[in-house]
Amino acid sequence: MLSMSFVQMLLEAWIEAPTLMAIRAIELLFAWSLALQTLEYLRMGKYTADDGFWSWQLQRADIPSTTVRAWLDVLFKPRMHQLHLVLRLMAAVVLAVQGASLPLMVFLFAGNLLILIRWRGAFNGGSDFMTLVVLTGLLISQVVGALGNVALGWQAGFWYIAIQAITSYFMSGAVKLLRREWRNGSAMTIFLNGAIYGPLSATHLLRNKWLALLGSWGFIVWEILFPLSLLDPRLAAVFCAVAALFHFLVFWFFGLNRFFWAWLCAFPAIMWCSAQFSARFV
Amino acid sequence: MTELLFTAYFLALIATLIIKTPIIKGPWLFLLRAFFPNWKFFHAVGHVPHLYARSAVQLSSGELKWADWVLIYPRRVRRLHHLVHNPDTNLGLGQQNMVDHFWADLHDLPEGADPRDLVSYKMMQRLTHQVLRARDVNFSHSQFELRMVLDGRAKTLDTQVMMTSPVVAC
Repeated sequence: MLSMSFVQMLLEAWIEAPTLMAIRAIELLFAWSLALQTLEYLRMGKYTADDGFWSWQLQRADIPSTTVRAWLDVLFKPRMHQLHLVLRLMAAVVLAVQGASLPLMVFLFAGNLLILIRWRGAFNGGSDFMTLVVLTGLLISQVVGALGNVALGWQAGFWYIAIQAITSYFMSGAVKLLRREWRNGSAMTIFLNGAIYGPLSATHLLRNKWLALLGSWGFIVWEILFPLSLLDPRLAAVFCAVAALFHFLVFWFFGLNRFFWAWLCAFPAIMWCSAQFSARFV
Repeated sequence: MTELLFTAYFLALIATLIIKTPIIKGPWLFLLRAFFPNWKFFHAVGHVPHLYARSAVQLSSGELKWADWVLIYPRRVRRLHHLVHNPDTNLGLGQQNMVDHFWADLHDLPEGADPRDLVSYKMMQRLTHQVLRARDVNFSHSQFELRMVLDGRAKTLDTQVMMTSPVVAC
């Protein structure tokens, strides 16, 4: 009963003040995603230590500029790196409590670049890319806002995030459609067998050729049609709900928990842009 | 105007699928590649790099007694709480990404260049050493190998050795 009235309240708020709701939703989701990532990084000190697999002493040779390398040597000292992560965690809390601000987003953006470099460009592939997209969108909103137009700033930030997120689904589906192994369903079984939680058990449903085929085509079609979510916010809500299920399955089979949260952060922007875009046709 | 932008956006997306452009490479571009995502996930099935390693103990005769090759490939047990906290699995995924990078670095290496100078080679060497040490603290020599493995739906279809490291005394 309580949850129903909460959902109703959320829906009413979304209708009455969609931009404020979208801003708050994206700030909270992003703060949560950032905090989860940072807590994971904080548990990896053993692996980034000087004798660890991800030792900076090994990786520093990748940096082409000696001046930059010298700066990074200081910033990536284990204690300094841990301090940065603690500050990042605090910044995520501030983002959740107080909302975005220019100094906060500049700090998070610069810090994110450092973390990417620390992990040779990306620690977790796509989730790092989407985290950077949302971070860039939030930074755009604050920079444009600081120049005097807060509404335009959020509009630009939301559109940047929404277009990147929609493109990510479309491209991911389109490249699969071009591959025979995806069209005949075999790719899904092969990838699932090679996954970190794999291989599939001998009796697993997705070893069935026809189910794998159905699953493959279901996701390909849904991904390719994702740009249609811009035509109606109700359609966007359905596409986002399926996306949440899709990302959960990706986590379940491939262990990619960061993907789930990183893409969830983009949903308020997709919903907001869909409402704005579709309103032009009404 | 909006309709035009929407159409142009779709055409641009389709164009990126059809038109092949030269790949721009560079150390900074590699480190900052998150700014240029291609969003192509799990798309191509083909030969995948797998890292193998083996250890040896030196006998009193001076001869090396080798253990079997070990596949260094992350496998973890799934837990629902991993949705919110999953550092070990993510480290495993990162490790396999590094194996992919090592393959890419070897692939791009100019003819005659020594792979031992590569950062990714040194990281593979450290990884194999740590994994082998965890299995047997007494080994005296080690070696690793990068194999390209083609998996089918039910079994491995083909394996090719891309690189075998020299034997290293530990």
